[in-house]
Amino acid sequence: MVFEGLGNGSAMIPIILSEVGQFLRTGRSFQLLLVFVLGILITVSYFLGRRGKLWEIRPLEALEAIWEGVGRCAEMGRPVMILPGISGLGSPETLAGLTIFGEVAQRSAEIGVTPISSASSSEVILASEAIIRSAFTSAGKPELYATGKYVRWFGGDQFSYAVGAAGQVIADKPGMCLQIGYFLFDVIVAAETGSRVGSIQIGGTLGSLNMLAMFCDYVFIGEEIYAASASISRDKMATATIAGQDWVKLIVIVLLIVGAILGLAGNTDLYKLMGM
Amino acid sequence: MSSLTYVRGYLVRLLIITGCLSALISWYFVSPQADTAFTELNIMNMNISLFTLFVGIITISARYIRTIKAREKYWPYQLYAMVLMILWVIMGTTVGLFSDFYQTAYLSTKITLHIAILGQIVFFMASGAYRVFRIRNLRTAIFAIGAATLCALNAPWIAIPFPQLDPFREWLLSHPGMAPGRGIMIAGAIGACALGIRVFLGLEKGALRVTEAA
Repeated sequence: MVFEGLGNGSAMIPIILSEVGQFLRTGRSFQLLLVFVLGILITVSYFLGRRGKLWEIRPLEALEAIWEGVGRCAEMGRPVMILPGISGLGSPETLAGLTIFGEVAQRSAEIGVTPISSASSSEVILASEAIIRSAFTSAGKPELYATGKYVRWFGGDQFSYAVGAAGQVIADKPGMCLQIGYFLFDVIVAAETGSRVGSIQIGGTLGSLNMLAMFCDYVFIGEEIYAASASISRDKMATATIAGQDWVKLIVIVLLIVGAILGLAGNTDLYKLMGM
Repeated sequence: MSSLTYVRGYLVRLLIITGCLSALISWYFVSPQADTAFTELNIMNMNISLFTLFVGIITISARYIRTIKAREKYWPYQLYAMVLMILWVIMGTTVGLFSDFYQTAYLSTKITLHIAILGQIVFFMASGAYRVFRIRNLRTAIFAIGAATLCALNAPWIAIPFPQLDPFREWLLSHPGMAPGRGIMIAGAIGACALGIRVFLGLEKGALRVTEAA
């Protein structure tokens, strides 16, 4: 950039903005700003947490039910089944599901409940195997782990996974079925089969929430799966980030209300600003 | 520090941060360098996923062969699956994946089975709906009435003779139905971004926990 010949500083601002604008992709400036604000607020809440600030998190009914379910499995001598869905490791829902999977598997291994699982994506299968191995190792029972014993793969197709998981439910009769991750229609097959064998059904997803809710006793509604993945480990730092997340939700709610009022008044400035 | 600890503790995190940053920069900024880095990392990711597919097949074969040898429960089904897996591999490598023979065989088995499962899903949904829409209190009564209204308005024996009810059905779907759905999606997107930041900060224990403890 050449700024020679510019008389004052204020004249440089449009030129700098124009230069920056050339690097930004069209229509994504507002998104970037929101992600930037989100990042700052979450980092602020994280550092406040590090300095001793304690955040009160609303108890999630489904999360409490998970521990009751693990206890029920121990009493009944049945395994606990955890299904992380049909997506790969690139899906945030799957990542949140795997975090919950890890904690549940570890608690199960500690009290002598067998954790079982199946997934559609082969990379999730490997992650699940590693999680269960880690759970048994952390519980001081590494000798109980065997590859392919707890995690089963029925193919990469959505329905072959669903039918396989349903077959696994019938064969092993788990005391609790935990379905947290990315699901589509496949969730109906496995969840209904779980209901029929009398297991507690706990689910959480975003897209197919309506279908999952039909068959589950407890549901993580939408982003509650991310809040659950942060708070299940009882890590204060991870829980602190939920506060930052809530601040951003507050900003979005304000934007929604202001946008609705402006829209009703015939003003489209905010809409145009968000589309920048 | 052993080389394995170095790989698990630092190199994996460095790769994750590089991958995330290249994806973010490539999405928001015009940067050919970030685009190239993201494409390369994406190809590496696809190769790793492909490799895990082989591991999956080896795992399933090891398990099935063990069960078949011991004549455990369901062994005939597993023998059938093993034979079919081998046959499909031979067929795919000899006649080609895009040949008419392979495609016909594939579609006539897979699509048929999919349709069978979809048929099963209809009964499962009816069974689930029976449990969910039972009226127990005022809240469940409103829920059940809303569901029954939508079902009825979507049924041809009501929708066709009474087309004037169609705007009401549209309103139910696009206002009370759409608004909470969008609310859930917006909150979910914010939650997903927060999860991404937790991964950056090393707070998300999910799959990363494995690399630490293993």
